[in-house]
Amino acid sequence: MEVKLLTEHYDKPEFKALVGYKKLGGYDTLKKAFGMKPKEIIEIVKASGLRGRGGAGFPTGMKWSFLPENNEPRYLLCNADEGEPGTFKDRMMMERAPHQLIEGMVISAYAVQSKKSYIYIRGEYTESYRTVEKAIREAYDGGFLGKNILGSGFDHDMDVYSGAGAYICGEETGMISSLEGLKGQPKLKPPFPAVKGYLRKPTIVNNVETLAAVKYIIRDGAQAYRKNGTEKSAGTKLFSVSGNVVRPGNYEIPLGYPLKDLIFNLCGGLKHGRKLKAVIPGGSSAPVLTADEAMRATMDYECLAQMGSMLGSGAVIVIDDSNCMVDLMKVILHFYHHESCGQCTPCREGTGWLDKIVTSIVTGHGRLQDVQLLEKVAKNMMGRTICALSDAAAMPAISFVTKFRDEFEFFVREGRSKVKKEGYNYAQMHH
Amino acid sequence: MPKCTINGKSIEVKPGTTIIQAFKEAGEEIAHYCWHPALSVAGVCRLCMVQIEGQPKLQIACNTVVADNMVITNKSEPVKDAVRWGMDFHLINHPLDCPICDQAGECGLQEQYMRYGQYDPEMAEPKQKKHKVIDLGPTVVLDSERCILCSRCVRFTEEVTKTNELGIFNRGDRSEIGTFHNKPLNNNYSYNTIDICPVGALTSKDFRFRQRVWYLKEARSICTGCSTGCNVNVYFNEEGTWRVKPVQNDKVNGYWMCDKGRDVYKFTNLPVRLTSGKTGSKDNWNLLEAGALAKDVGATIRAAARSGADKIALVITGQYSNEDYDALFQFFSVGLGVQNIYHWINNPEDMNGFDGLLFRGDRNPNTKGLVARLEKYGVKTKWLDLEDKIKAHDLTHIVIAGPENHSVFPDLETKLRLFDQVPNVVWLSAGKSVAVDGLTAVTTQIPMKTFIEKDGTYTNYAGLEQKVKRGTTIVAGALTLEEAVHLMSGEELDMNMRPLPPKYLKTNFLVHKGGPL
Repeated sequence: MEVKLLTEHYDKPEFKALVGYKKLGGYDTLKKAFGMKPKEIIEIVKASGLRGRGGAGFPTGMKWSFLPENNEPRYLLCNADEGEPGTFKDRMMMERAPHQLIEGMVISAYAVQSKKSYIYIRGEYTESYRTVEKAIREAYDGGFLGKNILGSGFDHDMDVYSGAGAYICGEETGMISSLEGLKGQPKLKPPFPAVKGYLRKPTIVNNVETLAAVKYIIRDGAQAYRKNGTEKSAGTKLFSVSGNVVRPGNYEIPLGYPLKDLIFNLCGGLKHGRKLKAVIPGGSSAPVLTADEAMRATMDYECLAQMGSMLGSGAVIVIDDSNCMVDLMKVILHFYHHESCGQCTPCREGTGWLDKIVTSIVTGHGRLQDVQLLEKVAKNMMGRTICALSDAAAMPAISFVTKFRDEFEFFVREGRSKVKKEGYNYAQMHH
Repeated sequence: MPKCTINGKSIEVKPGTTIIQAFKEAGEEIAHYCWHPALSVAGVCRLCMVQIEGQPKLQIACNTVVADNMVITNKSEPVKDAVRWGMDFHLINHPLDCPICDQAGECGLQEQYMRYGQYDPEMAEPKQKKHKVIDLGPTVVLDSERCILCSRCVRFTEEVTKTNELGIFNRGDRSEIGTFHNKPLNNNYSYNTIDICPVGALTSKDFRFRQRVWYLKEARSICTGCSTGCNVNVYFNEEGTWRVKPVQNDKVNGYWMCDKGRDVYKFTNLPVRLTSGKTGSKDNWNLLEAGALAKDVGATIRAAARSGADKIALVITGQYSNEDYDALFQFFSVGLGVQNIYHWINNPEDMNGFDGLLFRGDRNPNTKGLVARLEKYGVKTKWLDLEDKIKAHDLTHIVIAGPENHSVFPDLETKLRLFDQVPNVVWLSAGKSVAVDGLTAVTTQIPMKTFIEKDGTYTNYAGLEQKVKRGTTIVAGALTLEEAVHLMSGEELDMNMRPLPPKYLKTNFLVHKGGPL
């Protein structure tokens, strides 16, 4: 069953504007939050078990408590550079409920005592940018942003910033570099953003969904939020389901919900009555699950980690038996090759190498040892770089090869796909 | 003071020391490209991997600070494997054009492949194509395919010169170093980017395609281009000298030297050198062996001094070593009683100039040493006195310890016109000069050795005495000023007999331990 907490009013067009939002109880929680001490809010968020919804799943309250106790200005950054292939939940949240995000952000900013926040929106999301910008103007006019918000004595300014279309700017330090006007490249850690982030000042970076969820945790309390989900994966989460299902789209479900039910009940099963072959459960960086594994999986951090995959950003890509896994891997690896920032050698060279090997295979020039080489190269890219992009390319590569080795070996031996009669024209696709 | 164990060696380091610095202190080898002791940490080559006891993941040594009781190794199999793969990643798109690459023989890729790589390459796909032979500016040429994007050169222009000419453009394996539109790499320290480039991506316009580095020998020396006295290596073979590179010395130049100093080798080579003793005047010169000529002219001067030392003048430039000056003063001031001793300052307006990094307006290596001796021997003359004396025809002989590097003496010709009014001119210099060959006075030219051909001590602007050692001989018959003076005084000189430097000198030992990284 869907549990509509964040998305309760998403089908009401008036929820988008300030007037409608207020009618539906908007900004009431902000008033409530101002009645609490900032430390109290952090404790409630900690108790709620909320984990970062952007992909890494780091406990939000703990992240906030890493801020050093000093008088330096602090920044709150909202990561809306939703670039993980398959993910489209933040976009819907910004376009349907911009004030929900703003309210969540002001509460979070109050909790971490930040006077300035930015929403970094993916470059392609022009509609989201316009909607959020308009909502910020409305919030200023309504007294929910600016000086002395709702008479609380708390000042907060908010701005939107449009990215330029780089996947790497969704990585929190890459995003900070981009926001600073530098080339969007992740920064070496330590120091971590909580200590030295935007403009070398303490900075908290949270995903859109995380910040919006803060509003509901404060509204209902930590225990109410915990009613949904599992012990280690509390609350509800939005999942973007795409691929060969009858009803693709965003679904808000409690964490721990069976993947099988998500695909076959909520999404109406597979198109044209085809058979399920594989599922990528958490965006293109997450290791793929076979149909068997997918039938057993529940959508929470621990179950997917135990299966060797991850919940990631919650992008569920459903793959039926008409798809060639070698083809799919080519598409995924081309993406990471294109998006690697090029700082760290293993990622810069490794993503290109993986892409070239799989291109050789799909164009019929593969060698038998290439299948093993893909695995070896990918393994040696993991855990050796500044950010996780290298791992994000390596993990699907390893899982595709190990779980669908027969398809790769068939392609190398026969020079054609085991599944498809005709492939794409890769000569055109590959520069 | 945190204590740590590095490959089994226990050492104590200063708080805040990174693991890679601790490795260097412990004298343990560690692979790296992007880390440079004088630049910020980039952490991108991912080669300096180490295993720390109790930590599951390998860490990079350059960005990890040593904590107390850390047990660190880079000799374990996981580290070796990571470094081996790191080398492979660096090399898969490298063109491997070592046979035509100037860096071959001193290349970080070659050295570290032999040390940490030695695998069979598995890359079968075509390599990434990038731009080649990119003219970055007046000194540097870039080959992007050879570049490993360590970003050292970019950080150098950001952090050391603060001129920011270089950047990395594009991303992923299409990344290339480049300059901004219409802004060439054109600063006085640009050659340093070539030195710190661990591969053959940046090559020097001055040196490329001229010599194979493994045929060159190197000698430690001091740059004589200005009064800073940067520590350098001079690279030479039997044909002459070919280039100068800085040597680390934290007391003087750190790791760098300026582009102007890179030219000092040029005036040591035969085409610009005075190769033989000469006597005569304009259009009528006899060539003589330098030693014999020095003896002859010495006898003449001694005779002249007996009839009146005030008829003799001595002009000195700041281009010689302290030993040279000592001998000169001993002979002229003490021995002959010459009072007319003058300091030839080649660029009086800029004498105190300084660019904030290394380059100084005083373009002599040893002005300070000369001034100290002028004081010691009580010389308080002014240049204008000399001009007056010459105009009044008070002088019969003038001895000039002239410049080694003519290019930094813009006033050479005007000064020579002045000296030409004295009947007898003795010109001691390493360089040949058309202007000297045009003198009408009775002139004796004695060829001098350059800094790379002699032993000696130079005092830099800060009073630091630095020794140079003979590296090679380019002009066989040339003398040091000291030798010439001994011969002039009538001594028979055993050329191997060198006076030892006095014990009170501050000796500046060169601390660099070698290697291009």
